[in-house]
Amino acid sequence: MIWFRLAFKNLIRRKTRSILTVLGVAIAIAVLYSLFQFQQGYQSQLKGELGALGAHVMVVPKGCPYEAATIALHGGKWPRYMDEGLLKDVKADPGVAEAAGVIMDAVFAPGNKNVILLGIDEDYMKLRPAWRINGHWFDSDSSVIMGPTAAQEAGVKVGDIWNVPEKNVRLQVVGVLNRTNTQDDGFVFVPRKTLQRMSGLDGKLVLILVKARHVERTDDLVASLRASEVDMNVFPLSELLGTITSLMASTRVFVSAIILIAVILGGVGVLNTVLMAVFERTKEIGMMKAMGGSRGDIFKLVWAETILTAVIGGLTGVLVALVSSRLVEALIRGMIPYAPKGSLIGFAFPTLAMCIVLSLVLGLVAGFYPAFRAASIRPVEAIKAE
Amino acid sequence: MRSDEVRSQITEARSQNCGQDPAVQARSLTRTYRRGAEKIKALKGIDLDIKCGEFVGVVGHSGAGKTTLLNLIGLMDRPTEGKLGVLGTDVTRRAVRLDALRRKNIGFVFQEFYLMPTLTATENVLLPTMWGKARDMTGSGSAIVDRVPSRDRAKKLLDLVGLGHRMTHKPSELSGGEMQRVAVARALVNSPRLLLADEPTGNLDTATRDGVFSLLLALNRDSGLTVIVATHDLGLESRFTRVVRLEDGAIVK
Repeated sequence: MIWFRLAFKNLIRRKTRSILTVLGVAIAIAVLYSLFQFQQGYQSQLKGELGALGAHVMVVPKGCPYEAATIALHGGKWPRYMDEGLLKDVKADPGVAEAAGVIMDAVFAPGNKNVILLGIDEDYMKLRPAWRINGHWFDSDSSVIMGPTAAQEAGVKVGDIWNVPEKNVRLQVVGVLNRTNTQDDGFVFVPRKTLQRMSGLDGKLVLILVKARHVERTDDLVASLRASEVDMNVFPLSELLGTITSLMASTRVFVSAIILIAVILGGVGVLNTVLMAVFERTKEIGMMKAMGGSRGDIFKLVWAETILTAVIGGLTGVLVALVSSRLVEALIRGMIPYAPKGSLIGFAFPTLAMCIVLSLVLGLVAGFYPAFRAASIRPVEAIKAE
Repeated sequence: MRSDEVRSQITEARSQNCGQDPAVQARSLTRTYRRGAEKIKALKGIDLDIKCGEFVGVVGHSGAGKTTLLNLIGLMDRPTEGKLGVLGTDVTRRAVRLDALRRKNIGFVFQEFYLMPTLTATENVLLPTMWGKARDMTGSGSAIVDRVPSRDRAKKLLDLVGLGHRMTHKPSELSGGEMQRVAVARALVNSPRLLLADEPTGNLDTATRDGVFSLLLALNRDSGLTVIVATHDLGLESRFTRVVRLEDGAIVK
């Protein structure tokens, strides 16, 4: 411990330089932590969102599958529709246990808030056994059920009349969902026929959610649906998860390369700082040797300084990553085609441990040469040196 | 008195370790340096014997070879030619590990004090105790049984050099004379058998110089510690028990 105390005291002798070096490492580690946690958070949140769909297979109109996924998970306006008649065909497949047709629309409420409308019927309820409605199911074409967040944002409660923005339609709030902690909390649910009429999309669907009769035979069901219908995309949700995460993985290679460069630069910064400190302290190191310090002792001391710099940098980096997680998330979300909602960068001990171990390795590697140089200083020459 | 305990430890070290061996025995000791293509003989085959318990002044003008001699005796350098025995060990043998021998047996005081600016007086005194392995500090090679230094020992040493009240002060809060006293305490922390001082008063004013010199003298007189001081200060010559005068790398007296 005394080595690290002495090393720490040496570092604080040159505060500005040490702080800048620590920052160099911290930035590299912060980027690493953020990206790694983002990847992990992305995958687990995506799994959660797909699970919340309550379906095994998704049927969407032909088009970009990522757009379809975004629509299915987060709702929105998508200028691609299927004929409602396809729902009957899907339901007729013996492998299908339940199938719910959904139409979607999005409107802007005052304050520029995006309101997602989902047109559903009783079939949708069968995919949502966990739903608890405060109020009751649709009792007329002009009733509406709201997710708790949507109700809060619209400022309505059960029994109130809600004016649908942009549509000039009045609906009565017959139910508000108890919080589900899924994307449903932010949606507004309207009878399917009502939304089709309201949006001028009679007989159209955006999405069919399918629950398989036998989960283990989902692949057979997908094959069967694909064979029967050519005008739609049929995705098992597991495949969607794989497709989206592999898309993310391909970007990871580039980002990892950038992080690697940042980490190397951080290491070179540490090496440079400690090497400069060694040159400046030649006389002092000579004195330590005159006092009996061996090559190994001096090596250990300088190495301890480097390791300390790198590890403090690593810890600061994790802290920076956690503090700036919202900002980083917002930046990354803006750059990728689909991102799950909810917090993606959080605290995780394994990632923290990985970052600290990496900082330690960085310190060990970057510190080797300066420590070797310091250990090689000859006391006689050092004390004579000007 | 605490400082008496330290003195008695140093005395004990001397009596147990010096034995019949001379503190320093040099024969035809030569040290040559290279400066580019030029060869400079800093020491030209000197013969020298210093007994245990002596208080020796190595005097001479700048460039006479004083520091070179002290560096060789202090095991910071190896001679180019000749033989050198320090405390009974032939240190010209390549197999001898100079740093371990130095750590256990030799205390150094420099003209520039080389105190660590971020450490307190106590921590500076204890600095040499962190070097080397524990066995060096407790091993049979040492004479003083209680070789494991502690804050208590640092306090005793600072008391001995008259700085018991400055234990927690950093070098920037000490005067030049006080810093040199801390450096003397630091040189004594591993209970050395030989204390070497290279121009220890060179950076001090006359009054402070006398104080530091008197301290070295007292350590020799009261504890019997072998002290070798290199100086170009002619005013100090009369106070040594023996003077070795160097001129141009050779002993002239």
